Amino acid sequence: MRKITILLAFLFLVGANLANAQTRTISGKVTGSSDGSGIPGVTVQVEGTTLGTVTDIDGNYSLDVAPEAEVLVYKYVGMKSVSITIGGQSTIFVTMEADAVMMGEVVVTALGISREKKSLGYATQEVSGEDINQVKTDNFINNLQGRAAGVDLKVSNNFGGSTNVVIRGATSLTGNNQAMFVIDGVPVNNSTSNSRAQEAGGTGYDFGNVVSDINPEDIESMNILKGAAATALYGSRAANGVIMITTKKGSSHVQDGQDRVGITLNSSVQMGKVDKNTLPAYQTGYGAGYGPYYSGGDYPGLSDETNVFPGVDGLVVPFTEDASQGQAFDPSLNVFQWGAFDEDSPTFGQATPWVAGSPDPSDFFETAWTLQNSIAFDGATEKSTYRVAYTNFDQTGVMPNSSLKKNNFSFNGSYDFTDKLTVSAAASYINTQGEGRNSTGYSQNIMSMFRQWWQVNVDVNEQRDIYDATGRNVTWNRSGTHDAFPIYWDNPYWQRHENFETDSRDRLFGHMMINWELADWVNIMGRASIDTYTELQEERRAVGSIATRFGISRGDVQSGYSRYNRSFMETNFDLMANFNKNITEDLHFTGILGTNIRRTNINSIFASTNGGLVVPDLYAINNSLNDPLAAIETDSKVGVNGYYASVSFGWKNLLYLDGTGRFDQSSTLPTDEALYFYPSVAMSFIFSEMIDADWMQFGKVRLNYAEVGSDAPFASLIDTYSKPAPFGTTLFSIPDTKANNFLKPERTKSLEGGVAMNFFQNRLGFDFALYKTNTDNQIMDVAVSTATGYSRKWVNAGEIQNQGVEFIITGAPVVMKNFRWDVALNWSKNTNEVISLYEDVTNMQLGSFQGGVSINATVGQPIGTIMGTDYVYDVKDADGNITATYDQPIVLSTGYYDVTGTSDNVIGDQNPDWNGGLLNTLTYKSWAFSFLFDWQKGGDVFSLDQWYGQATGIYDDSDYINDLGNPVRNSIADGGGLINPGVKADGTPNDVRIEGNNYKAAGYARSPNVRYVYDASYIKLRNITLSYSMPQSMLAKTFIKGVTFNVTASNVAILMKNVPYADPEAGLGAGNLQGWQSGVMPTTRNFGFSVNLQF
Amino acid sequence: MKKILIILMAFLVISSCTKLEDLNKDTKRPTAVPGVTLFSNAQVNLASQIASVNVNMNVFKLWAEYWTETTYTGEANYDIINRTIADNAFEEWYRDVLMDLKDARMIIGAATFPTEAETLAAKNQLLIIDILEVFVYERMVTLWGNIPYTQALDIDNIQPKYDDAMTIYKDLLVRLDTDIAGLSTGGTESFGGADLVYHGDVPSWIMFANSLKLKMGTILSDADPTLASATINSAIAGAFTSNADNAEFYFLSATPNTNPLYVDLTLSGRQDFVATTLITDYMNPLEDPRRAAFFTFAPDTNVYLGGVYGQSSPYADFSHVGDVITTDPTLPCLLISYSEVEFYLAEAAARGFTNGTVEDHYNAGITASFDYWSVDGAADYIASAGVAYDPAKSWEEQIATQSWIAFYNNGYLGWTVYRRLGFPAMPVAVDATISEIPSRFTYPVFEQTLNPANYAEASAAIGGDLLTTKLFFDKH
Repeated sequence: MRKITILLAFLFLVGANLANAQTRTISGKVTGSSDGSGIPGVTVQVEGTTLGTVTDIDGNYSLDVAPEAEVLVYKYVGMKSVSITIGGQSTIFVTMEADAVMMGEVVVTALGISREKKSLGYATQEVSGEDINQVKTDNFINNLQGRAAGVDLKVSNNFGGSTNVVIRGATSLTGNNQAMFVIDGVPVNNSTSNSRAQEAGGTGYDFGNVVSDINPEDIESMNILKGAAATALYGSRAANGVIMITTKKGSSHVQDGQDRVGITLNSSVQMGKVDKNTLPAYQTGYGAGYGPYYSGGDYPGLSDETNVFPGVDGLVVPFTEDASQGQAFDPSLNVFQWGAFDEDSPTFGQATPWVAGSPDPSDFFETAWTLQNSIAFDGATEKSTYRVAYTNFDQTGVMPNSSLKKNNFSFNGSYDFTDKLTVSAAASYINTQGEGRNSTGYSQNIMSMFRQWWQVNVDVNEQRDIYDATGRNVTWNRSGTHDAFPIYWDNPYWQRHENFETDSRDRLFGHMMINWELADWVNIMGRASIDTYTELQEERRAVGSIATRFGISRGDVQSGYSRYNRSFMETNFDLMANFNKNITEDLHFTGILGTNIRRTNINSIFASTNGGLVVPDLYAINNSLNDPLAAIETDSKVGVNGYYASVSFGWKNLLYLDGTGRFDQSSTLPTDEALYFYPSVAMSFIFSEMIDADWMQFGKVRLNYAEVGSDAPFASLIDTYSKPAPFGTTLFSIPDTKANNFLKPERTKSLEGGVAMNFFQNRLGFDFALYKTNTDNQIMDVAVSTATGYSRKWVNAGEIQNQGVEFIITGAPVVMKNFRWDVALNWSKNTNEVISLYEDVTNMQLGSFQGGVSINATVGQPIGTIMGTDYVYDVKDADGNITATYDQPIVLSTGYYDVTGTSDNVIGDQNPDWNGGLLNTLTYKSWAFSFLFDWQKGGDVFSLDQWYGQATGIYDDSDYINDLGNPVRNSIADGGGLINPGVKADGTPNDVRIEGNNYKAAGYARSPNVRYVYDASYIKLRNITLSYSMPQSMLAKTFIKGVTFNVTASNVAILMKNVPYADPEAGLGAGNLQGWQSGVMPTTRNFGFSVNLQF
Repeated sequence: MKKILIILMAFLVISSCTKLEDLNKDTKRPTAVPGVTLFSNAQVNLASQIASVNVNMNVFKLWAEYWTETTYTGEANYDIINRTIADNAFEEWYRDVLMDLKDARMIIGAATFPTEAETLAAKNQLLIIDILEVFVYERMVTLWGNIPYTQALDIDNIQPKYDDAMTIYKDLLVRLDTDIAGLSTGGTESFGGADLVYHGDVPSWIMFANSLKLKMGTILSDADPTLASATINSAIAGAFTSNADNAEFYFLSATPNTNPLYVDLTLSGRQDFVATTLITDYMNPLEDPRRAAFFTFAPDTNVYLGGVYGQSSPYADFSHVGDVITTDPTLPCLLISYSEVEFYLAEAAARGFTNGTVEDHYNAGITASFDYWSVDGAADYIASAGVAYDPAKSWEEQIATQSWIAFYNNGYLGWTVYRRLGFPAMPVAVDATISEIPSRFTYPVFEQTLNPANYAEASAAIGGDLLTTKLFFDKH
């Protein structure tokens, strides 16, 4: 298959340049009827061919046409198309009028079918390729942020990490809620290979979602199909909405009567710096330790030791304490710090001044660089088109020793064998190489160290210098004065340079397609597509690191090597007949009859050393200290056969009715439930056709209802045993999840309505959508009481409802001859509710996290509530009756908060209340300036960083002057301490003072979880771009056809947020479990410059 | 050309399509396995759970106040919420031990065997499985109180009701009697090498069952003296008579099958635990020779020094866990020991349940502990002031204190001695948010959300789901 595609591709490439003939040149200008000014960007095409050009900034154009060309067609969105017979003319001036019904706007819908947008009975939203390619990023999806209504994106900030893309809310409790991606009608896989443990905050890496393989340079446009009606023809897997990507195709470049190859070069460089607003600000008053108890004397926060060195006594840092509640800094005090104990340190043997480390860990982060270079060749003749492109992407991250490299080759082409038969093919090959992704979650994460467990007396540059000088793991966090081995944290530079992961992926996706026009009312499309990749993820721990869970057994080991090989292959075969007929002059019919055969095969193998490495720096399974455990293999093969039909009627450009139906037969359901059917109906009514008003050019109402069925994940029907490592004898174990051989398909039902209107010569437009989606009979592995002998069970149950509103408003407040101001506003609100769960279960735990918080689905609440301990507001008597309720938290007589004894209190909700984006674009002659704001209102996040970091006293807000005017960390006797706001049991304001100099003053030890739940709202200035295109007049005498310069800034500023010292969006990665932060990465602010040259 | 392409297309479609029925099969995992492999796995998980000192799972060496935590003192101060420790333990016992035992029972019970010897062996296997189940439930009932029992381990009932703890306990005793009566000896095989405790030796399992019965009778002493006495008296004859009878589970020398304690204390490189003042203050005046096995000297000293329980206690200042324990990856987990048996017998004699001599059993219990740790000087120790049994003094204090020391490597037993007898006088952790020593684990957090009605009923039935709720046997 792969070989055939490539072969055909080259065939077309060669064929494409063959057709040449005598030509003549036609030039002219296109102007608008309202103001007479030139219109840039109008498509000028020879009718019946793909030959064409676009007008320049002043509306001028020039086009070489073949002698036999008869008619030129001028098209522009929002204008009525114009056709002019060429005759003997060589100069043609054209005037275009605003189009009342926006005739020309064609969008790509499910299965790659092009439709007039006005005829659609469901909501779609387009985003141009240019919009998502101005800022160069490793994951183009990130650039969708703020640009599409109803799409909830969460960028994890992990290097090369995954982005959560959920359209119109989560519909599945335990399954995948990520949008589906389709390129030119062909589904592309977007899974993450992050482990379940990583997603729940365990040690691991975020390997990104694989849709990031798509090269943004290849994207012409994206169309977001939001509702079930829009995606019904895709069936099961599109229940979460679809992002349809249309790639760039070859277009004609004619010069001097010659067809020639168009060449586009793009080169960009981008620099990234961490946004310090998303990093901790450290207090600078107190150093290492947990309190004044390491010794007597004047400096009880330091250890007073004899024979620190033979015959030398002195004060020593309590090295094992990864906290900063210790001795107050005093520059005149000399203390033996970690550097005193390493003979390669410049301060070896010396006591050094007791001061805050400078620079602090923000200096750990480096400048990130992104270089992207691409070249594309394209062209078209009357019979063929082709485009070949190569992009090289080379990025380094803000963490030392991190890089991501991609090489992307793509080809597409089409050839008309006859008038009736067109063949096209496309293929992309992508090689991705990652190195040094950041660890996520709690353990083994440098960011957890910086945000939770740090000694502010440590100077990160000294940690760097000692690693650079020695190549050894010399850490600040020694096991003791005379024990250099790390206790909890390695030297961060050692960890980055020695314990890094690497990963690679080789991917090929593409398709071959035949279009055969059997008659003028019917054509047949056959398409075979493939998406396949293999990936390798390797993890290393160097000899000399602290012990951590690693490898197959997850046992504590100090060194090791593991490798995970995974291969993925999906094939799709589509055969589809399209019918297209005018039944009467006013009644138009289109129909589709088709079948889709899909097979997906994923297999993987995970192997690791056991117990450590024998030879240092040799990363191979056979270098295992103990006998390696058997590798873990998986092999999953699933398939779906689908049969579908669609009918559409259009009456007089006024009323459109669509109906679809699809049968799916899935291999993952029990045989007698494997075949299931689901329908959709949609209606579009163009009411503006019936109203003749100057102020309104277009008005449409739409309404649809759809159902989508969905199947089960692989191998959820039959029980199989798991096999633990042998214990001298063979072991088997009952699996944790109970299979279920009685599963039925799950079903999503969706009702959607909307209105779209354009006013004032299309200067103002809006699109409004309302929807309600219910998913029931969910196939899910519910968490069950482990008293059942299992922790999960596959069931069919539960119902989730999503209701929402989306607004898109576009306008052009100012349009002048040389200046134009466009505004686009997106706003959406989704309300999610769990209607029912399984049997009498009213709560389902979706994930449980360190800190004792869990993410849940509770009946009557949205999916993704955060549960944990709360403040107590009620006073109860001995029988448990409430005798008083206060509006402030109750503080115990100890001065600490009363905390609920149970963790089943809802203390937050990971879902935002609403999202919005505002894009302003200003164009002046050849200049364009745009800036994008992005809002989120609501959504909560529990911060483990604050939960621990407030207790360890590292943050600057934990060192303040108290109500008595003294440092809070003075002892109470010395006027320090603090009074927790709240009431005593008798209702009077709390007046019990607690010590402010230990881990109980704030944070995990004496606070309920709710204290560290934050509102995740934000307003971000997401990006700013300035671009300049050289006018055609300047290039007229050169061989260059176009030059554009871009200056971009992304993640420019977080204008408002409530999560302290972190980006509210940052997290573990894509998945259903959001709302928990631990050791999250800072935001990287990027500044870039790019040049685009066209020849 | 047209035709060629269509043919090519059709060919691709047909050739690549495997039948749906051939898909969705997990070809890497078995659907049927021998029952004995599940029994072995249950034993591994059982021993690992008891031996572990991982603060996410097993906190009893802390709660028995043998050890305290150096820097992160949450668990010593009875915080089991932050790390959902009760959830982890519940999961481990039900899912990873009991469920595998149940499945082993079902597989073995459903099988037919060609020879009578094999049939008899299978019968023995089923009874030994039952004995282990009783052992596990005994521990769970004394940890939580009421727990799911009659409706447990049934995936078709995902909200099992909780049974009354005392009722369960009595049922367990009945099961033990049946098991003991049913086991056939005389060279009859059982699990062979798949039994990682007794290697299939049936007489050893009979002794184990009797010793377990003795332990359970002792637990009931205050709650139901009549039943306790009858149970103890029927068990004495069959119980352990020497350390050679100990139910020991030996770990292996290589990861991942080492003693989990070796992972937690040695491989992890962490410095989480030091001795408590409580144990050093007991053992130091007695110059207890076992100190050398249990602890190291405090760094740079030649004394055994413990930290105040629950308070931050720098690792550099106090005694650590002894090398005998931390350097042996194969260190066995003791399910029931001979020393334990002798202390139960001493207690039974002191209570007047039996005619035995308190002092003899008391001395035998101490001696067995010395022997187990290969420590000399038991005789001198027993004779020394402060150790020698004195009938004039509280038997509870003397037996409890010495058995508490002897149970050093099994924190759960040490804590339970305190719960039953109120000795040794343990101080409440200094940073605790409760004002007394915990009497039980609270129920798992997930039971609150996954099994709420039964959770609420069980909580009410035992007198509230608190750490301090006294359980059915706890009457001191």
